[in-house]
Amino acid sequence: MQKFKLGIIGMGRMGITHYSIINSHPDVEINAIADTSKLVVNMLGKYVKGLTVFDNYVDLLNSGLVDAVLICTPPFVNYPIISMAASKRIHLFSEKPFVTKSIEGKELTQLFQNKNLVNQVGYVNRYNDVFIKTKSLLEQNTIGKIVRYKSEMFTPTVIKPNKESGWRASNEEGGGVIFEIASHLIDLTNYFFSKPLNIIGTSINQVYSKNVEDIVSSTFIYQNGITGTLYVNWSDESYRKSAIKFEVFGTDGKIEADQHGLKIYLKQENKNKKLRKGWNYFNFIDLYKPVPFYVRGNDFTRQLYDFVKAIKNKKHLPLCTFKDGTETVNIIEAMFNDVEINKR
Amino acid sequence: MEAIDKIVFGDNQFFGINHMSEEKAQQLAEKFYNIQNIYKVYNYAFEAGIEAIMLNSNDRAKEICMYFKNNKSKYGHIRWYPSIPYPHKYANMVAEKGILSTINEVIFKGNTTLDVFRMFSKGATAALTKDVIKMMQMLIDAELKMFKGLNVRVIFLQNVITDLLLGFGVKEIFYEYCEYIRNKYNTIPGFITLNLPYLYNSLNEWGINEVAICTSYNKKGFTMSPNVESYIETTNTNNPSSYQIMAMSTLASGAIPVQEAYDFINNQKIQSVVFGASSKNHIEETVNMIKL
Repeated sequence: MQKFKLGIIGMGRMGITHYSIINSHPDVEINAIADTSKLVVNMLGKYVKGLTVFDNYVDLLNSGLVDAVLICTPPFVNYPIISMAASKRIHLFSEKPFVTKSIEGKELTQLFQNKNLVNQVGYVNRYNDVFIKTKSLLEQNTIGKIVRYKSEMFTPTVIKPNKESGWRASNEEGGGVIFEIASHLIDLTNYFFSKPLNIIGTSINQVYSKNVEDIVSSTFIYQNGITGTLYVNWSDESYRKSAIKFEVFGTDGKIEADQHGLKIYLKQENKNKKLRKGWNYFNFIDLYKPVPFYVRGNDFTRQLYDFVKAIKNKKHLPLCTFKDGTETVNIIEAMFNDVEINKR
Repeated sequence: MEAIDKIVFGDNQFFGINHMSEEKAQQLAEKFYNIQNIYKVYNYAFEAGIEAIMLNSNDRAKEICMYFKNNKSKYGHIRWYPSIPYPHKYANMVAEKGILSTINEVIFKGNTTLDVFRMFSKGATAALTKDVIKMMQMLIDAELKMFKGLNVRVIFLQNVITDLLLGFGVKEIFYEYCEYIRNKYNTIPGFITLNLPYLYNSLNEWGINEVAICTSYNKKGFTMSPNVESYIETTNTNNPSSYQIMAMSTLASGAIPVQEAYDFINNQKIQSVVFGASSKNHIEETVNMIKL
C-alpha cells in the first residue's frame, strides 16, 4: 500500500514526541516539518533522508508534500494555520486546546466537516487505559443513574516564581492553568457526562504566576440533574507527574479512577459484568493493553494511530474531533466569565 | 562481548517509583529518604550473592556512587550498570527553559573551568547544536561523571530516550552512541527499551552488534510493545553474542506473583534479569528463583 504523507508544524516537546510515535506507523511517511526555530529542524534535516524542512507553516502547506499535518504550535497561532490547511484539503491533528476562542473553533469545525477532512484535537486522556474503562462502565450504567462527581488534576508545572513570557503569560493566548492543564480535565468531563448546562462558583488563585492563574475550581450543573466539581492545581510539587482523579457517585454504586487504576463499588452484584457486591478493583496493569510502539504512554500512540485510521477509513471518527475541542473552549470561556461575575 | 551479570540489582524502589500505587511509592520514598537505608538494602543484595547494580544517574545517585568509591576495599568487585540520563530532569528543564538552555546548563553545570575549556575546544554550544553527535558525547560525559572510578560493565541509555530516538529511525545516533561508549569508556553499550522487537530489528538492519538490551519482560505483556509473543520470537531468534538481553519489570510492578513470574522468565532465552526489592526476604527469595 502507498504510504500517506505527513507533515509536522511546531517541533517543540510535543512535536518531537509525535514525530517519533507516528514515524513507527507502517502506512505513514513524514515528508516535511516546520518550525520558526532552526535548532531542531536543522538537526533533523541533516540526519533524516528525504525530509524537507521549512521555517514557516505557509510554505509547508503550499509545498504539496503532505496529505495530513500534525500541529503542535501555541494555541493562539493555530486559527490561520488550520484554516489554510482546510483550503489545501489537508487532514489535521491539532494539539490541545486547539484554539482560544470558541467562535473560531465553530468555524473550523464547519470548514473541516464541509470538506470531509479528518480533524482531531489532542486530548490524549480519552485514549488512556483507565479512562477507556471508566467511560465504558459509565456508558453501561454500571453504577445506576449518575448523581454527582468530583474531578481533580494536579501537576508540578509551576512550582516556583518564574519569568512569565510569551503566550504562557496570557490567558488570551492560551496560557494559564485553565487553558493548559484544566482543559484536559474539562474534556474528560465532557466525554463522560456530556456538556454542562451551567457553570457556577468558579474561582482562581495565583501561587507563583503574576499574569495567569495557577489554581482553579468550579461547579458544573447538567441538564439531567448531575452536578460535578472540578479542582485543578498546577503548582503542587507533591506530585511527581501529572495526576487526574475522578470520583463518580451513582444510585447503584460509585467509581473511583486515577492513573493507577479504577475501583468500583456496587450495592448489588452484577453477574453480567462479573462484578461483585462491594468493592471491585482494576489496577493499571490489569487494564493495560499494549500498543504497536511505545514512546510516552499507550494513550499517545493510540491517539495518533487513531488519526491515521480515520484518514484511511473515512467512516471512522477519531475519539476527539474539532467539535469536541470547541466544546471545551466554550466551557473555558464560561469559566472565565464566571470568575468575573464572582469578583463583583 | 564480555558476558553480563545474570542478576543485577535495580533502583526504582529507592526513588519513589511504583506503577501500581502512589501510596506505596510514597512509603518507599520516605523509607529511603535516609540514604543509610539504601546502603542497608544493597548489603542485603550482596549477602544474597548479587554483585551487580543498575543505577540511574539521578541526583541521589551521585551520593551513592561516592559512598561506594569511598569504600572501594569493601565494594571494589561490584560491577555497575549505569543508566543515563535521568529523564525527568530533562523533561522539567526543557519545559521550564527550552531545549537550548537545558543543553547549556547540563553540559556546563558542575564542571570545572578546565572541563569547560576542554568542552569549548570541542566546540561552543552554538556550533554544537549543529552537530548532534558532538553534543550527545558531551551530554554522555556530563551524565557519567558520577560513575568515574567504579567498575562499569554496561552503560545503558534510558528507555525514554532510546525509544524516542528509535522512532526517528536515525542509524547514526545509535551507531555513534555505541562507538563512543566502546572507545571512550571501554565498556559495553546498552539500550533500555519498551519496544524490544522494533529495536532489535533496527539494530540488526543497521549492523550494530555487541550491545546489551534491557527491556520489560513479563507474562502479562506490561510495557511490552507490540506484544509478548513478538518478544518471545525475538529472543528465540537472537544470538547472545550479538545482543545480550536483560529482563526488567519481570513482576509487572507486583501484579504477577513472584513464583509465577520467574517460572515464565526462566523459560525465556534471555541472559540476565534486573530486579528491585527492599526487604531481605524478597531479595533472597527472588535470587533463589532466578535460574537462567
